[in-house]
Amino acid sequence: MIGRVYRSWPFVALAIIAIAAFVTPLLPLSNPLSMDVAHRLARPSASHWLGQDEYGRDVLTRLLWGARVSLLVAATSTAAACILGTALGMIGGLLGPLAEFLAVRSMDIVLCFPPLLLALLVVTLLGPGASTLIPVLALVYLPGFARVAYAGVLAVRSQEYVEAMRVLGASSSRILLRTVLPNIGGPLLVQISLAASSAVVLESGLSFLGLGVVPPASSWGLMIAAARTTMAQAPWLLLWPCLALSVTILTLNAACDALRDANDPHRRLSGRRRLMDALAPGMLPHTGPVLEVQGLTVAIATPGGTIYPVREVSLRLRPGETLAIVGESGSGKSLLGLSIMGLLPLAARPISGAVWVNGNELLRAPESELQRLRGNRMAMVFQDPLSSLNPVHRVGDQIAEVLQAHKRLSNSAAKAKAIALLTRVGIPDPVRRARVFSFEMSGGMRQRAMIAMAVANSPSLLIADEPTTALDVTIQAQVLELMATLKRDGNMGMVFITHSLPVVAEIADTVAVMYAGEIVEHGDAIAVFANPLHPYTAALLRSAPSENGSLPACVPGIVPPINALPPGCIFAPRCDHRRPACEAARPPLVNATPGRMTRCVRWQELQACAPSIGAVA
Amino acid sequence: MAWVLKRIGISLLLVWVVASIVFLAIHLVPGDPAELLLSQGGAAPDQAAVDQLREQLGLDRPLMAQYLRSLGEVVRGDLGESLQDGSSVTGEIVRRLPRTLELIAAAALLALITGLPLGMLAALRRGGIADRLLSIISAAGLALPVFVLGTLMVLLFAQTLHWVSAGGYVPLAQAPGKHFTLLAMPAAAIATGLFSAVFRITRASVLDVSWRDYVRTARAKGLSRHRILTRHILRNALMPVVTVVALHLGTLLGGTVLVEYVFNYPGLSGMLVDAVNARDYPEVQGVVLVISVLFVTLNLAVDLIYGALDPQVRNS
Repeated sequence: MIGRVYRSWPFVALAIIAIAAFVTPLLPLSNPLSMDVAHRLARPSASHWLGQDEYGRDVLTRLLWGARVSLLVAATSTAAACILGTALGMIGGLLGPLAEFLAVRSMDIVLCFPPLLLALLVVTLLGPGASTLIPVLALVYLPGFARVAYAGVLAVRSQEYVEAMRVLGASSSRILLRTVLPNIGGPLLVQISLAASSAVVLESGLSFLGLGVVPPASSWGLMIAAARTTMAQAPWLLLWPCLALSVTILTLNAACDALRDANDPHRRLSGRRRLMDALAPGMLPHTGPVLEVQGLTVAIATPGGTIYPVREVSLRLRPGETLAIVGESGSGKSLLGLSIMGLLPLAARPISGAVWVNGNELLRAPESELQRLRGNRMAMVFQDPLSSLNPVHRVGDQIAEVLQAHKRLSNSAAKAKAIALLTRVGIPDPVRRARVFSFEMSGGMRQRAMIAMAVANSPSLLIADEPTTALDVTIQAQVLELMATLKRDGNMGMVFITHSLPVVAEIADTVAVMYAGEIVEHGDAIAVFANPLHPYTAALLRSAPSENGSLPACVPGIVPPINALPPGCIFAPRCDHRRPACEAARPPLVNATPGRMTRCVRWQELQACAPSIGAVA
Repeated sequence: MAWVLKRIGISLLLVWVVASIVFLAIHLVPGDPAELLLSQGGAAPDQAAVDQLREQLGLDRPLMAQYLRSLGEVVRGDLGESLQDGSSVTGEIVRRLPRTLELIAAAALLALITGLPLGMLAALRRGGIADRLLSIISAAGLALPVFVLGTLMVLLFAQTLHWVSAGGYVPLAQAPGKHFTLLAMPAAAIATGLFSAVFRITRASVLDVSWRDYVRTARAKGLSRHRILTRHILRNALMPVVTVVALHLGTLLGGTVLVEYVFNYPGLSGMLVDAVNARDYPEVQGVVLVISVLFVTLNLAVDLIYGALDPQVRNS
């Protein structure tokens, strides 16, 4: 609540300024033009709160009338630019290339002139005055609005629901009018506050030069110019208009920032990065496995409250083993991978549990130790190789870099090793390929380069987050093959995060099925595929394309949102086998058979009538 | 290379458009241009004077002939003669332009050497005391129009403290010390607003890039904070900074008007204000044209810098 008040102050202040300007003629003030030369430059007094100017006029009155002029010029020019610019931008987006050129591209010419200069050029021709200022300022801000509207039309035009409406026979201009305007509201508001603030600055600047508002009308720029000449006798006269002007601009800027923040989908919240509490009893370091995760829970602070997208996850991985983590999008599997590496986004942080890699506990380790392990003993391959490679550095340099970060290696030795790595991941012509940029490679090639980077220092743990999802099907198989080979050769432990069951079947030794942030089933891959113990796993298996050509069955319903999980079994609402007991309490992950775990309270009953849960035999 | 040539070609096209608009502006206004320029406060000008001005400006010839002639003159570097004293507009611009460019360069230098490192600092220590303090300072810097700041600076440093004189200009060769003292105040006034802009865009850009996938990759590789910052964040984060600085510098080319006026600095913009006040159209036309051409050139420079920073731009 306090946060909301804090963010809305610019709008409250703006409203106060606007109302003050609006009601000025109704206030019991003296005439802004009535002179009193006997009391020129008089100090503030009971009848003249802010003093009197060089003609003895009341400064407070002049200040308020000045606000009227400033805001009137700013408001009318911004409104005109907004209406005209939006119309032009939409016409440009709607009516094809010629209209686009005339309505949008031609605007760029206005941008060839610095704004103040354009204003001066027009003032020379038309003479000073508010009636010149308004069209000039409107012209200056026109291109900004046209661009926002044009971009809005383009964005909406490519959206599927617009296509769908068009197929249904609605006229395209009507669709766009109804969909574009609500969509560009946010950016337009930002543009409006930007233009208004800039208009106040330009108006006062021109008036200051004597080329804007013409005396005897009042304007803050004019008042500053006048006070400047009497600066030696009455410096306080300079203060009031300077203050009024700066506060108004500050308020407009703050309003603009607030609007921009509200429109920014990437607002980030910060949080503590590292678990500082002591390890819980019984959570002792393990030495055997490459990776051991115990009771890991990750929290994300959102404006709507804290959510827990990963809850109580425990895993274990031995050298040379591949563990697949399977789940639909949003099941928390990627966050799990990132929290092992200590690479969670700022808003997310682990709040309980422990992660051991080669016996080192990582959730409580200082950043320097994580830095030493990352890229060295543990490495990660990400989903989208294009965005995961730096666009401004050559691929070979990016591989050499990870080598040099962990070993003393000369530049030429690192370069040679990078080329050797490229060869090892099957990139043809590696000497040339080391010198290209990521965007000059094909998708499969990029992912191979990413893999080369990950295995460069022969890590004992490799986490692969959907490494084949962004690739063509034929390339997918090759990349999987490569990863399997590298794992075998290096005796690495591999965590393979994926939503694709055929991929799991091909590569995994063990599999953990995640649903809405929890592991619901865990066990040997072949056993899980042959005889799933959790109805969700069974449903997932039924939804995968099968080899005998029968149609896949989709899992009914949707994954519940993380902030509105059902009280009992989280899969219960979508489960064909639910009983009242399922919805009573959250079921624990139980050891079913040796090496197999499930989070289903009815697994024994369901096993008794195995065919009904639908194993793909 | 083809990309560079294409960018230069587009810029030349823009210069031509700008020159044409500046030429046509006077003819776009309804009424007789000569009469318009001579009319003061609604009083009808003397017919003889109007005829003389019309002849002087060549307005008695057909429009197309005027246009071609004026383009030819512009290409040769002749921007006509001042209506006030008949002096060469080109000569006056050549005399004053370096002073304005020096002022802008000094302001830009001040703004960059403070804004860039402080912007990075604020981004790396986001939410900290330094970040909050600097954000408040930059908000204040953006809210103070340059002529307000300049006037207040004169009031404080010249009028009250008597540290410096209120303004003016001395050539470098004549008195180097005095030259830089006089340059410092207007440069600082401009630099304040520019600092705020540089600081904010640097901070936002570094923050934005910090959460890109390729920076996550760099962290996954176990690189040191220093190396991630210098190699993976800065170069990518610099691109929007270059754009914003260039945009502001472009605006400054016309925007030094106010500062030069406040500090009585005899630059190009001061010439423009005098010319506008005197309705000396050839002089206004000349200055506007020169500044706009510089503006277009600056944008071209930005595009070329972009190409150097981002291989993707170069190759597209």
